[in-house]
Amino acid sequence: MAAKFPRSTTIRIGAIFGVVVLLFTGLLIRLWYLQVLQTEEFQIQAQTFEPANTIRYLPIKAPRGRILDANGKVLVDNRKVNVVTLDARVVREQLTEEQLDDYLLHLAREISRHGRPIKVRDIAAQVSDRRYGPDDQIPIAYDVREEFAIIVGERGEELPGVRLLETSIRHYPYGSLAAHVLGYVGSITLEEVEARQGHPKRYNPNDEIGKAGIELAFEDVLRGTPGWLEIQISPLGRVVSERQILAPQAGFDVQLTIDVNLQALVEQQLRQGLLEAQNREVDLDEEEAELVNPLLPPATYPAPAGAAVLTNPTNGDVLAMASYPTFDPSQFVLGISEEQFDQLIDPESYAPFNNRAVAGAYSIGSTMKPFTAYAGLSSGLIGSRGYVDVHELIEDTGSHVLQDCIGQCEFTNARGESYGNIDLRLSLTVSSDVYYYQLAEEFSIRPGFDEEQVQKTAREFGFGASTGIALPFEYQGLVPDSEIKRQRHEANPEAFPDPSWRVGDTLNIAIGQGDMSATPLQLTNALGVLANGGTLYASNIAKAVINPLTSAQVTSYAPRVIRELYMPPSISQPINDGMVGVTSYNLGGYRGTAVEAFNGFPNGWLVAGKTGTVEVLDKNDTSVFMAYGPTAEPQYAMTVVLEEAGFGGQAAAPVVRQVFQALATNSVPQAETLPDEDFIASAIAEQE
Amino acid sequence: MTITHYSSKSTRSNRSAPTQLSDVPSLWWRIDLPMVMLVLVLGCFGIAMIYSSSRGPDPENYLRLYSDRQTLFLALGVVLMFVVALVSSQRIRLGAWGFYAAAVLLLLLVLSPLGSEQRGAQAWFEVGSFQFQPSEFMKLAFIVAMAAFLSNSNGALSGPRLLTCLVIAAIPTLLIVFQPDVGTAVVLLVIAVTMIVVGGVRLRQAVLLGLLAIVAMGLLLSSSLLETYQRERLSVFISPDSEEVDTYNIEQAQIAVGNGGFLGQGYGNGSQTQSGRVPEQHTDFIFTAVGEELGFVGAAGTVVLYVLLLWRIAKLGRRSSDTYGKLVATGVLAMLAFQGFQAAGMTVGIMPVTGIPFPLLSYGGSSMLATCMAVGLVLGLETGGKRVSDPHYIR
Repeated sequence: MAAKFPRSTTIRIGAIFGVVVLLFTGLLIRLWYLQVLQTEEFQIQAQTFEPANTIRYLPIKAPRGRILDANGKVLVDNRKVNVVTLDARVVREQLTEEQLDDYLLHLAREISRHGRPIKVRDIAAQVSDRRYGPDDQIPIAYDVREEFAIIVGERGEELPGVRLLETSIRHYPYGSLAAHVLGYVGSITLEEVEARQGHPKRYNPNDEIGKAGIELAFEDVLRGTPGWLEIQISPLGRVVSERQILAPQAGFDVQLTIDVNLQALVEQQLRQGLLEAQNREVDLDEEEAELVNPLLPPATYPAPAGAAVLTNPTNGDVLAMASYPTFDPSQFVLGISEEQFDQLIDPESYAPFNNRAVAGAYSIGSTMKPFTAYAGLSSGLIGSRGYVDVHELIEDTGSHVLQDCIGQCEFTNARGESYGNIDLRLSLTVSSDVYYYQLAEEFSIRPGFDEEQVQKTAREFGFGASTGIALPFEYQGLVPDSEIKRQRHEANPEAFPDPSWRVGDTLNIAIGQGDMSATPLQLTNALGVLANGGTLYASNIAKAVINPLTSAQVTSYAPRVIRELYMPPSISQPINDGMVGVTSYNLGGYRGTAVEAFNGFPNGWLVAGKTGTVEVLDKNDTSVFMAYGPTAEPQYAMTVVLEEAGFGGQAAAPVVRQVFQALATNSVPQAETLPDEDFIASAIAEQE
Repeated sequence: MTITHYSSKSTRSNRSAPTQLSDVPSLWWRIDLPMVMLVLVLGCFGIAMIYSSSRGPDPENYLRLYSDRQTLFLALGVVLMFVVALVSSQRIRLGAWGFYAAAVLLLLLVLSPLGSEQRGAQAWFEVGSFQFQPSEFMKLAFIVAMAAFLSNSNGALSGPRLLTCLVIAAIPTLLIVFQPDVGTAVVLLVIAVTMIVVGGVRLRQAVLLGLLAIVAMGLLLSSSLLETYQRERLSVFISPDSEEVDTYNIEQAQIAVGNGGFLGQGYGNGSQTQSGRVPEQHTDFIFTAVGEELGFVGAAGTVVLYVLLLWRIAKLGRRSSDTYGKLVATGVLAMLAFQGFQAAGMTVGIMPVTGIPFPLLSYGGSSMLATCMAVGLVLGLETGGKRVSDPHYIR
């Protein structure tokens, strides 16, 4: 055995171990020297080592307030995600240009490897963005995989200045529901930061700010007050200590008047209404029909866009507001590309971003007639001593020729139809133009009457002025008169060649054609005056501001009365009756224009409505319908406008009918929230 | 003997019979318990020090990332240690060249775009959030291969065989130098020299080898393979007062160790450690955290425990029943001794700064697994059926 295992090997191992012991004894001696003999000197050095740590202050973002519906359901809240940031000082000052290129390439690779594909030029654009100052943490990418923390921690020297922070982003439990009302938040621009110098809620260049909708209108309320973080940084760039010296304060919640269930219903019915119009063949008159190539399949309505507003006429609260086409606000959550944004505001794609309910300029067509009727009744033009009494019949021959007239003098009903003998109520029910042409002409020529009575009445009902809704980008509408017509001519003689007001202009306004324009919200608000018996309310979209910590109301928004109109039953009754006839009267050859749409509607819940079919140059008709109900004690007023969708009674009225039927039968379905996990995924998919 | 009626003593004597050697269960009592205990104690102590040096500045929100991951590495390492120990050392010996070839292949692969670069060295494969460093496992394969080769020499080493040894050592060493990871390359050379010495080198050959080593070192230093910072580090070590290079790391590390004093600043209270002035303090410079927070008592205690572990390895090597086993133990001893001495030595200024982790203490998965497997190799060595601590065992 001894030969097989040479003793020398064993001895040599022993010798090696001896060397090891010697070496480690040396180490122990050195430790004794440093830690026992010399320790005082090192302890002084440890305490006085220069250069000292630098102290920096970083803002701590405060959570933004939530947006709630009328019943407290959360429409917008916050979701925590991580964000990769770059220290502006490190990348701008401590790296040469060449190093920076390599560095950004490396960083882009690492971030891409962790689930968020990103290009070097995107990072470079952020780094060179002027709105980030030298003390800022520049956000590079959101929602990377958690493993990125390990890269930052383990290989921090390779990625100087990179931090993985937590931030909160907007989360939309109901997806794109009420997108136009809610709006969105986006990165603050340099101009916006500079405009807010010294703001008590301290805006920082990497903050987000409300850009549209409630997010913009209630920015001051929703925004929280950022805190301060004091960080000490060692000369090596390592964070030595972090201390919160001022806690961030969350923003306040905003509660809307919107009811999420009604909102979902109205949006769904609006989409449905457009879809049905898109499947309906275009109704052509004989002249047009001759021009159509019979070999082609019959044309259908394009019906690309529309809006719907549902309010409570007793206080001006907006219960639902929809605009189509719509957009997904979570697109903005992780930043949106320029192309995507351009697409949202492109008229070619019908500007999905546009909230047609408050910003759409529409001719309101025959839905103007109840207001013209009011002008007649309140001024006495309709009455026992006026041009025609309330129940007096006028013969509608299908056309009306102006007296003492030059130029266009014959005005006809749509399609040249004649309705026979009609009174005020039937004029609304069947929607006679001739009846209102006559009223308009009488205003212009009858002594003792104001030739601008129709416009004055329109303004009293709120047309041509803001509804007072707390939403940005509201269109104020236009009620033209001789003064405005002259100004427009002077400003642009080519587009508006005629400087003087004509009787024909008044005729056009009386039936809602011509230059007069209004938003669907304005129309709903004016309708509310008819429904509630004479009060014009400002539109309310917000109900209250709530402190999320205490749940106490900080502010509550009461109904705001803009003005009271003179509206005794002698005025409101005939208008109401005529409008009820629109949805229900079908006797003796007189047929309400929306009777078909309301066929089979629940009894006992009477709806007063008015159709409108607006002729638009080179386009199909805009379909309009407005209605309130139940007429006994109106709780709801609603307007639907469908672009290029045909007759008001055919396209828009069924939308209102479906919504009112659900209200009348108490069967409004619960709005559905999106599954949770889809959210981040869809936001990221949107971005890519 | 009946199964139902035996005492532990009779079991032992029965199982110590050579015929029972290949029985797997018999290995369990053969395993050197002190060595296992030392690995566990040092590993756990390392986790504690990693936590202290990597938990970050925010008391509200201490970071457990590194300590948690190291716990996982240690658990995995201990399992691997037993697995390696349970495999017959003869089998490992037969597979030695396969391991060697596989490890060399990995070293080649890591230089390709498949590998990734960190801290200036192309030395890692990335697997998910983990990084795998093949050079750590190269050391093991190299030890086994060298042992297998040298144990066929029957004591004396002929010239051509010595030359073959040098080639076996040179291939992985050069590949690692190319990464470049000079620290690990030096570890390989130290292992090689130690094993050749124990494996029966003649005096003449030893002198020749020494001269060769000096020439190789000179070539390495003057070649362009070394990055400037690596050359600087070495020259800083030779003349610490030279002003042109950054002596920050060395200064800060020594201040930290010196600041510890006799009893230390207390766990979690080292001002240098907690303020992060020492770079890489949870990995290569972990010993500074020990020195500052636990003082001379803790540092010396750690050294003593570590030397005890080395003593068990040397002892098992000496008692190994064949030359192969002795050489494996020698290689592992050389590897762990040099790495420990280097990693501790650089923090107190008696060794140059090279990026070598302190085995079992420093944060790092590849190092932990490789170290545990190395100990497993030694644990599994055949001792002629005798328990190493058996008083009846006579060598």
